[in-house]
Formats: sequence, C-alpha cells, structure tokens
Amino acid sequence: MRNRFLLFLVVLLTVSCFAVPLQLSSEVGIHTDAWKTRMEGFTKETGIEVEIQQFPYANYLDQLMLGYTSGRVEIDVPYISMLWYPALSIGNYIYPISDIPGYEKIDESDIPGIRNAKLNGKTYIVPYMNELGGIIYRKDLFEDPTEKANFIAKYGYELQPPQTLEQYRDVAEFFNRPPDLYGVTLMGRRSIFLATHFMQRLWAKGGALLDLNMRPIFNSEAGIEALEEVKYMFQFANPAAMNYDFQEALNEFISGRSAMAEVWTTGMFYVEDQSRSSVVGKGGFVGFPRPEEKLGEKLPMLYISWGFSVSSAAPDKEAALEWLLYVTETQNEVEAAPTGNIPARFSALNSPELAESFPWIGDFAAAMEKCIPTPIVPLIPEGGSIVSGIIAPAVSEFLAGTKTAEKALNDAVKEVDRLMRDGGYY
Amino acid sequence: MVGDQMKSRRRSRGYWYILPSMVFIVIIFMIPLTYTIVMSFLRWNLLRPDLGIRAAGFSNYVRLFTDPFTLDTVGRTFYFVLGAVLIELIAGLCIALALDTEFKGWKIVQSVLLVPFMIAPVVVGYVWRFVLNSDYGPIIHILRQLGLGGLVEKPLLSNPSAAMPVLIVADAWEYIPFVTLVLLAGLKSIPYEPYEAAFVDGASSLQRFHYITLPLLRPSILVAVVIRTLTSLRVFDIVFIMTGGGPGTATETLAFYGYRTAFQAYNVGFSSAINMLTFAIAVFFTILYMKIIGGGKNYA
Repeated sequence: MRNRFLLFLVVLLTVSCFAVPLQLSSEVGIHTDAWKTRMEGFTKETGIEVEIQQFPYANYLDQLMLGYTSGRVEIDVPYISMLWYPALSIGNYIYPISDIPGYEKIDESDIPGIRNAKLNGKTYIVPYMNELGGIIYRKDLFEDPTEKANFIAKYGYELQPPQTLEQYRDVAEFFNRPPDLYGVTLMGRRSIFLATHFMQRLWAKGGALLDLNMRPIFNSEAGIEALEEVKYMFQFANPAAMNYDFQEALNEFISGRSAMAEVWTTGMFYVEDQSRSSVVGKGGFVGFPRPEEKLGEKLPMLYISWGFSVSSAAPDKEAALEWLLYVTETQNEVEAAPTGNIPARFSALNSPELAESFPWIGDFAAAMEKCIPTPIVPLIPEGGSIVSGIIAPAVSEFLAGTKTAEKALNDAVKEVDRLMRDGGYY
Repeated sequence: MVGDQMKSRRRSRGYWYILPSMVFIVIIFMIPLTYTIVMSFLRWNLLRPDLGIRAAGFSNYVRLFTDPFTLDTVGRTFYFVLGAVLIELIAGLCIALALDTEFKGWKIVQSVLLVPFMIAPVVVGYVWRFVLNSDYGPIIHILRQLGLGGLVEKPLLSNPSAAMPVLIVADAWEYIPFVTLVLLAGLKSIPYEPYEAAFVDGASSLQRFHYITLPLLRPSILVAVVIRTLTSLRVFDIVFIMTGGGPGTATETLAFYGYRTAFQAYNVGFSSAINMLTFAIAVFFTILYMKIIGGGKNYA
C-alpha cells in the first residue's frame, strides 16, 4: 500500500513537471472576457492547458514591470497594450514573436496597424483588439427629417455624421440644447483621455508630437490651433464634462444626453448594452474628422490596440505561438467578438456574421482603412510619460485658463525635451 | 556595589523588553527609509533597463530644488495641509466641547459622528465627486435653489481656484471625527478640581476655557495636529479620484507628484528624492508643532 502511494506521488510529480500550463496574463476587461471564451477550445484542439492571471487595469503594468524587473514573473503570454511593448522589449522581458519558428503562419497583412507592433523589423505583439478614436453619434437624431430640415436651413448643407472639423463644430453647435441635450461629450479631466482630444486635432491639422530626431515639435502652429479647437468644442459640451473621464463621458451619451461623444470604438459596446443604455440601436461610429482641405487624405488617427506578446522567460515558446495562432485566427476572433471585442483582423471585421451582430462595424472598418492607425503615445519607453505626464497637464492648464495655449505648449515642449535628453535620445 | 549590579542587570533586561519593538521599527521604517535615501542618489528608470542603474550624485536633488514646479507643488501641499488641519482642529474642538457632556443619546451621536472617518478615502473621493456633480449633485442643486447658481456656474472641480478648497473640505469632512475623538478623550481626562477653583474665583466660561481647558488639552491637540499633518502631507486618494491633480496643476500635491513620477514616468530615483522632501517637511512640521503647542515638552 505504502509503495503504491509513493509510486502515485512520483507519477503525480513527474506529470506536473511536464504538463506545466501556459500562463496568460491580462487586465480585467471586456476584450479579455472575449478571448477567454477561446481558452477551452484551444486546450481541446491542442492539448495545451492554459491558465490566466488577471489584474485591474490601473496596476497591471506596474505588476508586470515590477515582476519582470525582479525576475519573479511567471507569465508566458502577457496580453498587453501596444503602448507598453517598447519598454518591455528594451528590457528583453518580451521576446520577438517573429523569431519563433512557425510565426509565418500568422497572416500579418490582414492586421491594420501591424507596423506599430514592430521594432527593428521584429514583431513583438500580435494585435487582438483594435479600435480608433472617433465620434459616436446618435443616428436617430441625424436621420430625423425635422432635424435635417432645420440643419440645412441654418447651415446650408446636409446634416450628416461629421467628416470635417468644420462640420463637427456646426453639428455640435446645432444639437447643443442644454440641459436636456448637449452637442458633444468630451473628457476634460486631467488624464490621458483629455490628451486624446488634443492629439487627434494635432494630427488632423498635420502636426506631430516628435520629429524624426525625436525632438518635440507640438508647440507648432498646428499644435496651438489644435489646443484652441479643443477649448472651442467644450462650449458645446455639458459643463460637467470638464471633469469627465471615459466612463463618465460614455454614461452621458448612453443616457441620451448628447448627440455625439468624442471617444473611441469600444464605446459602441456600451451603447448597445441593453442593461444600461437608453440609446440601444441608435448609435453610429465615424472616424475622427479632418480639415476640409485634407478630405480623402490618409491621416494619422488615434489607434488603441491590445495584443499578445511572449515573455523571454517563457519555457515553451512554441506553445505560446500555438495560442497566438489559435486565438487570432479569423473565425475565433469573429466568434469571440460578441462578448466584447473589436477584432484586429480585417477579415473578421468584414465577416457577414459580425456585421449582423454589430451593424456599426462596417463604418469602423471603413474608418480604419482610410487612416494611418497611430498609437496615442510615441512607441518609445518614455511615450506614456510624454502624453499622460506632460501633455495632459498642459492641455488641462490651457482649459483651466491658467496658461495660454502657446505658453502651455512651450512649457510642455521644454519638459519633453529634458525627458528625451535624460533618456539619451540626443 | 550589589545595588549597582542589580540596577545594571535591570537596565539590560529592559533593553531585551524593547528589542521586539526595535526590530519592528528597523524592519518597517529604517530599512525602507535607508533604501529610499540610497535610491534618491541614483538615476534609475524602470522603463529604461538598457540604461542601467547609475549614480546620480545630487542631481535628483538639484533638479528638485531648482525646478519651479517643485516649489509650486510644495506651496500647494502646504495650502492643503494648513487648510485641512486648521479646519479640522477648529471644528473638531467645537464639536468635542459640545459633546463633553452626557446627554440622552450622546453615545449614538458619537457613533454617527464617526461614520465619515470609517469610510475609505477612495470612497470619500467618489462620494464628494458625486455630491459636487454639476448635473445632479445635491450641493449644486441646493445652491441653485437658493439662487446661488452663479457661484457654481463653472463646476467646482474644474475651477482652478475652487478645486483645492473643495479637496480641503472633503478631507476635513472625513477627518474632523478623528480630531474630535482625540480632543474628546483629552477633555475627559482633565480633572474637575481646577474648574471648581475657577468657579469659586468667579471665572467666566471663556476664562475657564482659556486658562484651564486649552492648556490642559495641549497634549491632545499636539497628537491630533501632528497625526493629521503627517497624513495630510501624503494625501493622494481624494486627489486621484476627485481631480486627478487638475485642473491644470491646481491640485497636484507632493504625494501625487511622487506617484506620477514613480508610476507614470517610472523614474525611481527622482521620485525617491520627492519622497525624501516630503519626509523632511513632515519632520519639520512635527518639530515645529512640538515647539509651538507642546511648549518644548516632549509629549510623544
């Protein structure tokens, strides 16, 4: 009996040594919920067990950084924001996925924005969720015959989801009927959300954050105009929007109190959520407008992407690649999407099955095709500090009236310049 | 001779008794403090492991003391600390004096009074954000009903001149019960005899308060003020939740600046220098209070 028990223990230990599950990690969020639905199918198909550790978004990066720095992290496949991979790759914490044999089976040409996932020609992250910064609008209001007639009478052209910045201003003004309806919902709280409003306009007006030598150039004329335009739009927003974050802005829109919300595509899931939205089936999405003279040009547009990377310390990188191949395969992306994901692949976005679940997905795919998907922060380790730590406070100072647009941007440029010097860029 | 030996043995036994607390203090206080001091002399960015950890000499401190932003942040922190502690002390003292008598249901009043103090600061932040919401917040609604809507035309938390006072009020709301409790305990410990003598001498209630209550309450005031100053200096939760440091930089305190440097820029060296500055200010305030309120006596 004793011998049998010992034998059982030895077998158990041996098996546990060999059958180490693939460790995934992620934030707590709806697109993670979507790909989690694929875990069981993956194990059935490949025999590879998978486990997941989830962290709240607010401290997920801290957990990863501290874990990797101390060498105590046991994660094979971290699901991360595209903004994080430069810092993780510079520290060799994550591995170039394109170096894993068999990577060529992943069809990169089908994934918009994939160029952002590459560093020195190597791919470090395979996007799973892609979205754009744009405008969510109330289709019912835009299609209302009375509204259409009134709009054309006042502005002399057809009411439509704004394609140009000029139209965007007019439409916001037209629908601004406080306190029951506001023209647009914006996110004025000092945070990266506020910075998005500035960045979108900066890009639309042909400006940029950094030049090719990594020197800050956003205090240009385009930058000043962009900042002033942000302030201008706030007059068509609820005064409370000056302290809104993403969730509060969405809440206002889904409660039917604004005609448009300048957020990003994920907002559409909230619009269609019957448990909390009063505008289910009434939402549409359009990419961020541009100046009239740049209509038809492919311009940078705020792009948010999450995807899978592979830890350098992962003992079985082939198993990690198996997971990537499986979960980012078109049909799996389509099937997982209704749980709360916007697939990264064009083939998934254009699938008829998905168009049925998400009538707005076609507009999103069209916007994606017409723009240069550009991450909100420069893809360098200092990118987050530049946008969250320097640009967001600068925009906030201008909106608060404590600095002029020029002064706010000049001060911010000085700070970025110091940061870049400290980082050894020049 | 034998007496000396016994004394020395007793003394050495005393050291053994305090050893566990000493070990505790070294582990939870001295080691992290030493580590922070060391890090403040390093150039270490967690996002740039390729640059390694380099000696920075005094450069983090030079930057800290030459950057006008730091001075502004120190100013804002002082504003917050002095505002919050002053309100809490005055209101806490008034409430403690009012409660320093036994009336029917005073225990219920005391329990109710403690409620804000029992709430986590994060929740306090959200509650105040809700209360001040310019759409549906009750305070704004009441002000509008009173015809004072003009005061809040611009939402308070987005107004650079109003945001910090609002944070001070929110903080005071949470901590007045704590100060009240400490001062009430102090009032209860004051003997009755001096008051009796004062009655006999015909002292007015104001004189009794000035010459008896206040001097005998000094140790409790010192404890309350020191504790509240130290905790206010590291205020983070309500700033993070209510304003995120904005509008502009209107509510960015030292602790928030330290957080931003450590967890947005991952600049470990510079954020350690910021923390050392906060520590130095805390020590300065403690000594100052001991001199002013404690009259140089070491009540601690």
